[in-house]
Amino acid sequence: MSTQPGRKPGELVFALLCCVFGVVAFQQAYGISGFGGLTTPGVFPMLATGTMVVAGLFIVAGAARRGRERSGESTPIRFMREVLPLRHCIMIALMLAYLVLLPQLGFVVSSALFLLATFQYLWRRNPLLTLLLAGLSLGAIYVVFRIVFQVVLPQGIILGWTI
Amino acid sequence: MVEALGNFAIVWLDPWLLFLTAAGTMAGIYIGAIPGLSVTMATSILISFTFKWPVNDALALIAGVFMGGVYGGSRTAILLNIPGAPSAIATAIEGYPMARRGEAGEAIGLTTVMSVFGGFIGILALALFAPVISDFAILFQSRDYLLLGLIGILLVGTLSGESFAKGAFAGALGVLIGMVGLDPMTAEGRFTFDTITLMGGIPYVAAMIGFFGVAEALVQLHNLGLPVVKQKIDRIIPRLSDVRKHFWLAMRASGIGTVIGALPGTGGDIAALLAYDHAKRSTKNPEVPFGEGAKEGLVAPEAANNAAVGGAFIPMLTLGIPGDAVTAVIIGALFIHGLKPGPLLLVETPHLFWFVVGSLTLANVFLLIFGLTGIKVFTKIVECPRAILLPLIIVLSAVGTYAIQNNPVDIYWMLLFGVVGYFMKVYGFQVGPVILGVILGPMMDANYRRAMLGARGDVGTFLWDFVSHPISLVLSLAFVAMLLSQTPLWRLVTSRRRGPAA
Repeated sequence: MSTQPGRKPGELVFALLCCVFGVVAFQQAYGISGFGGLTTPGVFPMLATGTMVVAGLFIVAGAARRGRERSGESTPIRFMREVLPLRHCIMIALMLAYLVLLPQLGFVVSSALFLLATFQYLWRRNPLLTLLLAGLSLGAIYVVFRIVFQVVLPQGIILGWTI
Repeated sequence: MVEALGNFAIVWLDPWLLFLTAAGTMAGIYIGAIPGLSVTMATSILISFTFKWPVNDALALIAGVFMGGVYGGSRTAILLNIPGAPSAIATAIEGYPMARRGEAGEAIGLTTVMSVFGGFIGILALALFAPVISDFAILFQSRDYLLLGLIGILLVGTLSGESFAKGAFAGALGVLIGMVGLDPMTAEGRFTFDTITLMGGIPYVAAMIGFFGVAEALVQLHNLGLPVVKQKIDRIIPRLSDVRKHFWLAMRASGIGTVIGALPGTGGDIAALLAYDHAKRSTKNPEVPFGEGAKEGLVAPEAANNAAVGGAFIPMLTLGIPGDAVTAVIIGALFIHGLKPGPLLLVETPHLFWFVVGSLTLANVFLLIFGLTGIKVFTKIVECPRAILLPLIIVLSAVGTYAIQNNPVDIYWMLLFGVVGYFMKVYGFQVGPVILGVILGPMMDANYRRAMLGARGDVGTFLWDFVSHPISLVLSLAFVAMLLSQTPLWRLVTSRRRGPAA
């Protein structure tokens, strides 16, 4: 592994975050029952979070040792391109919106909206075609899961009448 | 024996179960083949939909998906040079050059037959050894389970990831996720921040679907515009001479696959790579050099990864320790159905064991049928653009997570784990150890405390127990050896040993 490439943009920050998360979690684990005994509920969580802190330190060291990849661009720009492009941000935002709407509007309406939006955004075809595709796939999911598998799909608080 | 045979045959005689296994195998082949959809993802979404079913129905479907999915990855590896699953990486190295020579059909045919061979060897090992191991496992003490759990997480962390520290971190993170909620022994809250929501713990299905479904979908978002190569396929049934020539290699590879599959924490991916390596070293004069479409390099990994399926069920059913990520998910499914995988599973519910063996065998038979037919339709479906596939994965993941407890909070967990899992994957962490940690964490915690209580809280006695009992000693040595092999000390020793010899 001597020919390891340089670290990815944001890798060091992520490694540091892992470490910080480990420390905070360890503190929480200590709070459960402290060092009071060897069979208390807090011992194993402390072992796990302790492992996270130690492993986190190694990860930070590893990331720091590998050094930055040589390229003309600055790290934030590379981060935006390689790790979190706009497309990912938009998709995550759409997913969040979908998950918030799901219990409110129910499965059918919220999924229809989500599928329409994401198909149109990612596939970029004629909106009519998108509408047809979203309708078909939603219908297929509904038949398979609601009717064949008999899964209870979220009904929605606001639009309770639309299954 | 007659009873075992009866339970083995249930799935073969009930038309509905027969249909479910067939449907599962068929679906598994497509899921495994479509890059971006993985068997682990499919099983984790499936268990959320099947938890209300009778346990036999759910297991028949899952057995089919597992068998088909492990095989399906090879299809896209051969046709598109994109392994549909990590276990097909080695297949792509040899299969794609064959496809470029116009031998795609032949490659697929040979892979199918060898996968089925491998599958049968794995299942045979499961049927023969699981009862033996189960008898033996009754002798296991709490500390042995603790060690097995640690070994499982360590193995998956070290063998599949790019760095040991990242594997250990991921495993520990999983344990932490598994610890959240009320402590089962004292009912004291752990990481609950005094909220009622967290007292019930974090549902592991949400974690599984997040890490394997949503995170993978986000990773695949990078490859939206990958071009698809069209293939012409003529001959699918492999030549008898080819099958005969590679039969023994396939058997050896199946042996490797079964053993690797049976080790806690390692599954088809590693089995396939090791078998490929074995084929490379044991084949003296290949007709075609390795890397340019050698059939040996196609046969070995494919036989091995399907053999690993049967192998992975061995520790899961006898010890309650998953053999790989998929069996970790299946353990989750068994818990939901109120079953406790472990040494008593075979004693208390032997019918379940033989049912699993029966449905795996049946799935393997279906694999042969579906593997050799319908390839033309197949190539069309695999060309389905990811722009359509990814939103559907998200919808299925959300509904699947919701279906478990009808609790909106679970789907937020799923999204959170999905985003965290995405960053972890991007920065070279494996998410497999996280799920193993979630499943094994609470078990290890309980066993650690039981072992410590058994030693009356005395650290000396506790540690002495690890070396004074034969089973514990073997496991302790294996654990220590694995730990040491990851430290610079090991490299120093091996390089010194090589030094004077050179």
